[in-house]
Amino acid sequence: MSSTSQKHRNFVAEPMGEKPVTDLAGVGEVLGKRLETAGFDKAYVVLGQFLVLKKDKELFQEWMKETCSANSKQSADCYQCLKDWCDEFL
Amino acid sequence: MADQVDSMSDAELRTKLAEHGFPVMPITASTRKLLVKKLKMVLDNKSKPRNSVDNKVESRRSLARYSSGEESDLDSTNNVKERRGRRATTGGAMLPPVSNKSRRIPLKKDSPAKRDSDKGSESEEEKAPVRTHEKVETVTTRRVTRTYANDQDDYETGSDSDVDSDKKTSSPFRSSSRSSDYISSTLPTNDASTSPPKSSIFSRPSLSHSNYTSNLSSSDQLNSIRSRLGLTSSLADRPPLSTYTSNYASSTYQPSTSGVDEIESPYLSNFTRRLSSLKPDPPKPSSFLDRDTTNGSTLIPRRSYITGVPRSDIVDYKAVNDKKFLKNNLVSLALVALVALFFFFLFFMYIVKKNDITSVVDDQNIVVPICQLNIPGNRPGINCVPKEQVGYAKDLMKAIHPKLMARTAAYKCGEPGALPYLTGKEIIEIACPQTDTFSRNYDQCTTDLNNLQILLVKNPRWGLNVVQLKNVYTKDVEYTPLTSTEAVVQQRNKGSVAIALSDPSTPISCLFINTLYSAGSTFVVVGIISVLVLGLQRLYKYYLSYQKKKSEEIYSMVEQIIDVISQETEDSGEPYISVDHVRDTLISPQNREKMSSTWDAAVKFIQKNESRVRMEVQSVDGEDCRVWRWVASHSSPKRSTSWQGQAFETQEGSVNNLTVSPTPCLKIRHMFEKNDTNPNLRTVIQDVILEKCDRCNILHIDIERTSCCVYVKCATPTDAGVVYKSLHGWWYEGRLITVKYLRLERYMQRFPNSPSSGPYLKPSRLRRSWDE
Repeated sequence: MSSTSQKHRNFVAEPMGEKPVTDLAGVGEVLGKRLETAGFDKAYVVLGQFLVLKKDKELFQEWMKETCSANSKQSADCYQCLKDWCDEFL
Repeated sequence: MADQVDSMSDAELRTKLAEHGFPVMPITASTRKLLVKKLKMVLDNKSKPRNSVDNKVESRRSLARYSSGEESDLDSTNNVKERRGRRATTGGAMLPPVSNKSRRIPLKKDSPAKRDSDKGSESEEEKAPVRTHEKVETVTTRRVTRTYANDQDDYETGSDSDVDSDKKTSSPFRSSSRSSDYISSTLPTNDASTSPPKSSIFSRPSLSHSNYTSNLSSSDQLNSIRSRLGLTSSLADRPPLSTYTSNYASSTYQPSTSGVDEIESPYLSNFTRRLSSLKPDPPKPSSFLDRDTTNGSTLIPRRSYITGVPRSDIVDYKAVNDKKFLKNNLVSLALVALVALFFFFLFFMYIVKKNDITSVVDDQNIVVPICQLNIPGNRPGINCVPKEQVGYAKDLMKAIHPKLMARTAAYKCGEPGALPYLTGKEIIEIACPQTDTFSRNYDQCTTDLNNLQILLVKNPRWGLNVVQLKNVYTKDVEYTPLTSTEAVVQQRNKGSVAIALSDPSTPISCLFINTLYSAGSTFVVVGIISVLVLGLQRLYKYYLSYQKKKSEEIYSMVEQIIDVISQETEDSGEPYISVDHVRDTLISPQNREKMSSTWDAAVKFIQKNESRVRMEVQSVDGEDCRVWRWVASHSSPKRSTSWQGQAFETQEGSVNNLTVSPTPCLKIRHMFEKNDTNPNLRTVIQDVILEKCDRCNILHIDIERTSCCVYVKCATPTDAGVVYKSLHGWWYEGRLITVKYLRLERYMQRFPNSPSSGPYLKPSRLRRSWDE
């Protein structure tokens, strides 16, 4: 995938700070709500889960599916977003 | 096993996952569920193969059935020539010694004994080849290998009896072979089979064996062999037998590898599975072998046959497939055909029934008002019919009915001049000239007609109506049916009585044609209308775009004219310039004719709307001509390409100054507006930037019109820093420029073709002095 969404670029452009979970690429209002009810209210919490799963794409996508019933595109976007962020700032 | 996973402790789960090759990761409340699921999935996958093994026997049987059917199809449809050709190629390409020798096997007198031993070991597995073999025999092929003819008797019994799987009684070597270890005897047997008649050469056991394995590596291959064998044969019994035995032996030679395949191919027998499991072992040089690999990998017999079909070297498979399809779907096809037949029959009956007037007329249930002498009101031909004349009337009706039908059909089909009824006169003309039935005189005919009319009125179910014509003399088709005998008699005297079909039906062909015609005409009309509409729309669009283009041309012309006027007047010092001179500088000679309208419009526009230019008549070199005088002051700044000063400080030490320039790439915003349609915008921008930053090396400049961004790539980050400082925060044509650094990767992503080194960009025009 050569082009990324604006949201992705925005997120990857800077440290995530206290950004809400909905700032993650692939996470919209609905998924954001679901993630918040599951306790993942901030982007860094999702990052934590991402890191706990050792940046494993398959497992992360599976987890996204479980937690907020994200489809494969959404979870792939979110995964890519976090991965790029990690590459940049971690 | 899967059930236990839920109740495992974290540590157990971790070790379990590690066992299955998963990276060990922290098991937390949020990941545990996921990992458990994963583990279950893995365990499920592992346990699957075991289950499928149980089906082996069942599937093997199904193959035996299947392959035999297949075989018969195959052989019957094959043509000899083709098979021969294929055999030749395979023989030449991949197994030259084997293919020849295998056919010769039966000649060997001493081979059976050895063959026994390898054949016997697994009786079930033998069924498949043996049964196939039986089918092969039933087919008669024209080609006869004469060399075998004399040996035929010896072998026929043995091989045939195998078919019924009653091996013990019919073939001695079979029964004895059961107990023996077939693996050990495999190689010798192969050798035996490859050896020429009457002589046994055991010299190359390993070679022949390997040939066999490669040859037989998939079910498809098996098929090709079968067909080949089927061909060799009126004697087919012997050769196939030996070949199959050896095939079998070679395949069972490595019996261990079948695991995975069994999952995927429920219909394959153990035998075929083993064949296919051997697939990867031998080198595969020919086209047959790629077929092997594809089929071997799918391993579902039907699939494999189907994938085999399109290949050119097995054309006959196609026929086999078709046949098979027919065979397998026989019942459903038959059902469909039956239903179709039923409806067709119904339809047919309907048509026939409707037209069959005689059956209706001869029906016993008709109402016939017989004239009886003792009833006073009865008058023959008016309200009753003499008994002896009923038959005549019916005959008359039968005679005129076809004619009436034809007329109605013609009328319905829109034939000109056709009428849907028969008048009394016409009926008599039709009926009376016929000599056989109606050879009586005119009066008789009239009487019959009268009687018939009475009968028709009394029997509406006959499908004929006595009708009263609205107008006798004009060819008018309007009529009203008469329902009482009195009315009939009344009208009869006027001569306006006719007979018509009560429910005229249009003939199918006519109906079809009419429908087609009306549909066609509608279609044509709609088509014409839509074409017209489309054409108009296209025309209108074209007109609009033409107008737009024209006005754009005029505006650009006006701008050019003003540029030229201001420039020329400035340069030459004269405050005016000839109109024609301007035109000649702007428009090249070959375009002058073409552009004259644009030019005129532009001149008119300037005259009307341009305050800085005044048109007057001056004498230039003694000749009066129209000139434009530049009225505006010369000192007014040029409209374009102007840097208008800095909005904020970017020099050393200021807040806006970055001490280090991180990348060599920059993104400049607001250099132009979105609706700027100047085709040379890129050159203009490039020149402007290059002029502004003349001290640095710029490799590449490009613009993106949609986002109004200019992208600049410099040779080094330092250069980029210089550009940044000299552009950031400047006003350009009334817009504030902002510059941002851009990561090199992003830049390369956007402009993959931008140069990374080489000549630096130079301004495309001579440097113009502009005010600071």
